[in-house]
Amino acid sequence: MAEMMGSRFGMPPEAFEGVSFFLRGRNVWAFSLPQVPDLDFEAVGLRFLSVRGRVPKPTTYALQLFGRFATKNAVDLSDGEARRFIAGKRQGLVADLEDGYVVVSHRGDVLGCGLYSRGELISQLPKERRIEGKEIESSPEGCGR
Amino acid sequence: MDGLARYGDDIPEFDRFMEAIYRPLPATARINTLKTDRDRLLCRLEVAGVACRPFTWYPFGIRLQTEKPGNLVENLMGHIHLQEEISMVSAVVLDPRPGERVLDLCAAPGSKTTQIAMMMENRGLVVANDPANGRVASLRSNCERAGAINVAVTRYDGRRFPAQKFDRVLVDGPCTGQGMARKDPKVLDRWSLKRSLGLQRLQVALLKRGVEVAKAGGTVVYSTCTFAPEENEGVVSRVLDQVRGLSLQEVSVPNLDGSPGLSIWGGSLFGDEMKRCARYYPHKNDTGGFFVAKLVKE
Repeated sequence: MAEMMGSRFGMPPEAFEGVSFFLRGRNVWAFSLPQVPDLDFEAVGLRFLSVRGRVPKPTTYALQLFGRFATKNAVDLSDGEARRFIAGKRQGLVADLEDGYVVVSHRGDVLGCGLYSRGELISQLPKERRIEGKEIESSPEGCGR
Repeated sequence: MDGLARYGDDIPEFDRFMEAIYRPLPATARINTLKTDRDRLLCRLEVAGVACRPFTWYPFGIRLQTEKPGNLVENLMGHIHLQEEISMVSAVVLDPRPGERVLDLCAAPGSKTTQIAMMMENRGLVVANDPANGRVASLRSNCERAGAINVAVTRYDGRRFPAQKFDRVLVDGPCTGQGMARKDPKVLDRWSLKRSLGLQRLQVALLKRGVEVAKAGGTVVYSTCTFAPEENEGVVSRVLDQVRGLSLQEVSVPNLDGSPGLSIWGGSLFGDEMKRCARYYPHKNDTGGFFVAKLVKE
């Protein structure tokens, strides 16, 4: 899993130190322990990746947690672009990205997962998390990490 | 009868209490250090023009001055979790450490679970249990947004949680919720002594099971958001009577104005040691109402 995130997003293996991955159904889950405890569980850890489609799709929550380690296929949006992204919209975007799933951030903080295809960025934010008509304030200084 | 008049002799400055109980709560949130750090989040909010003020007693709690805190991008990103100020005290008293095994027996909707996960730095294990099907969805959703990878969600009846051993257990029991009146005044109309006594049986059974699954030397925290002594000191004193080898520890959170638990109520003598529990009243810290007890198993 770490290798896959390394090849797509250039994340270093250290980012996943101490994290175990489990395949359950069509999802890969990230968990803090190498073994699932002996209980009848509803869910264990964080849903990390969906292997439903042709290409594995990282979840919004996985990228919000690990996306800051990305060194490629990651894009930082302007205020207006971020506003469209969090509203769940698609938009034209010229950026140095390969087609496929990308890490989308705003002012250095990860918003979630986007799908980049033929110069268009399509928001993959879950419907229930989207925010419509939100003004995003700008500041030239930002908040450097 | 709103069920509050009966506290007239026991709640300090009762007039001020009654004034405070009908005032709306300030909007508050917890900074989620699994995804950001405090300085960075405070800077982001400042840039966004959202006025906020950190709590006096907890560095990761903030009061927000904004109309719809749920619409903040920082909420979408999981950098903050909207949570009532006083409910952050349970996890602070529980004091979980990275790498431990912790059980949150009545976990939904997960505010305290995600706070525990964060205090454990996403390491070890937090078992978040809640039997209610509808409430588990919000629990899972909050864990996802928090970015918690150390949480496992279960749906057992807490009274019959399977035999396991945990370093710490939180029993934030179902209660009549009088302390939530500032959020929803209707809770006061729903209160009755019969409801408090009915819940007491469940609360005692939950706390007893919580104690049973704690390992030797383990910590068990019991909390509610009600003022009813039947559901607070009445529960803790019964469990102390029925279970051997438990010690009741002093609950004291620096810079948070708590009142001691009640040693006597109506015809019930709970005992002087109940003063080690903490009661939090709305007029003292401008929060909701809360009760916390800390037990350690020998």
